[in-house]
Amino acid sequence: MTVFRRIFLGIAFLCVVLFPVFASAQRTVPVYFFWGDGCPHCENEWELFRSIEDRYATAIHDYEIWNDRENALLLGSVAQALGERVSGVPFTVIGDQVFMGFSSEQTGRAIIERIETCLRDGCPDSVASIVRNAESADEERATGKPALQPGGTENDPFILSLPFLGEVDVMRYSLPVLTAILAALDGFNPCAMWTLLFLLSLLIGMENRMRRWTLGIAFLVASAAVYFTFMAAWLNVILFLGFLWWIRTGIGIIALGGGAYYLKEYVTNKDGTCKVTGGERRQRVFHRIRDIIHERCFWLAFVGIILLAFAVNLVELICSAGLPAVYTQVLALNDLPSWQYYAYLLLYILIFLLDDLFVFFVAMMTLEVTGVTSKYARFSHLIGGLVMLAIGVLLIFKPEWLMFG
Amino acid sequence: MKVLKFGAVWCPGCLVMKPRWKEIEQEMPWLQTQYFEYDDSLETAKKYDVTEDLPVFIFLDRDDKEFLRLKGEVSKEELVRILSEHKDR
Repeated sequence: MTVFRRIFLGIAFLCVVLFPVFASAQRTVPVYFFWGDGCPHCENEWELFRSIEDRYATAIHDYEIWNDRENALLLGSVAQALGERVSGVPFTVIGDQVFMGFSSEQTGRAIIERIETCLRDGCPDSVASIVRNAESADEERATGKPALQPGGTENDPFILSLPFLGEVDVMRYSLPVLTAILAALDGFNPCAMWTLLFLLSLLIGMENRMRRWTLGIAFLVASAAVYFTFMAAWLNVILFLGFLWWIRTGIGIIALGGGAYYLKEYVTNKDGTCKVTGGERRQRVFHRIRDIIHERCFWLAFVGIILLAFAVNLVELICSAGLPAVYTQVLALNDLPSWQYYAYLLLYILIFLLDDLFVFFVAMMTLEVTGVTSKYARFSHLIGGLVMLAIGVLLIFKPEWLMFG
Repeated sequence: MKVLKFGAVWCPGCLVMKPRWKEIEQEMPWLQTQYFEYDDSLETAKKYDVTEDLPVFIFLDRDDKEFLRLKGEVSKEELVRILSEHKDR
């Protein structure tokens, strides 16, 4: 360290002790912020930085890692140099201290305290040299040809020219299409159907038309509400936990397992049989439904059917081979306004219920319970199984490919 | 010839098969069929070894001996072909 620098630091130290506000205005704290495009916790941390930029002299060096391989490699180098293991983003380095993840209260407070400490006492800039090396290497590479900018028009690989339809942005339609495929696959799941069929077999024998329709609709609406509540809760858990790699990998493995199961169903269950399992439980549910339907007091029957729908659907969720969990993970990867998350969940529930609604309305109008032929279910097993396998692989190895639009 | 039909109200495939059989029974009045609701006929189901899948259709000859067993969704054409072939058994 040079003599001048020692003198400067000594003066600065005195200033910090005597005039903290003055000192903080003079020193700039470098903050190395590694984030992912679409990661809500990263966005929250961005907001923190924006909110404190007038109060603290910080130099934010930000690196998006999901769409930029160089930045991802840089994060690896920085973590290695600091002896840390990267478990996800946001990953922030201030001085020689690392902050992994972000919760607005706890981490936010710790980051501010760290910045204040660095302003007051100074901090070693542990990663400056690594970043400088990487940036100069980048510059050298960049002198060749510029990288393709996502969202470009003329050569955008995601814009297809289709006959009759013109230019179609594939990324824009990917999430709705994926929603439709997974929801249809989930809807054809026989676990979700058997209770409704039980109920309908009893309802069609009921003379009171009004009561028949009301109880049936109450069951369907309550089933949809349970599913929606579960998926919304799961989505919020994923958004809250951020993009921890082990959660994403775990759900990727569930998707691979689910995909393999559906493809096995496609290959082995060609004749569309129903498995005779859970006899005692089925009998129990059947008796409960019969008791509720025959309850004299309409309101007791009404409340009973809603409670039954909640209980049955919660159990049946386990039977859905992890589809809601996989779908909500994919949804969480996409940077959407809150209302759009819930709109997609509603779309999922609507498609999930389509076959139930078809069976319900046909039964109510014709007073005959009918089933949906298994060839549609089989077809959905094939398409859905392949999609689930692809999602599993992408969640584990290329999550950024699941961020649409 | 007699056909024993095993199904359940909770099984979509069984419900799909019901109208198919109804049509066949109307077109072939000589055919004897008997329907067993699985949950109400566990003993009979066990006797005929119907323990894993539904729907199951067991074809018996005039000596009540099983000569064919089908399961799952079967097309009406396939059923008509089989029944016509074995009408005299």
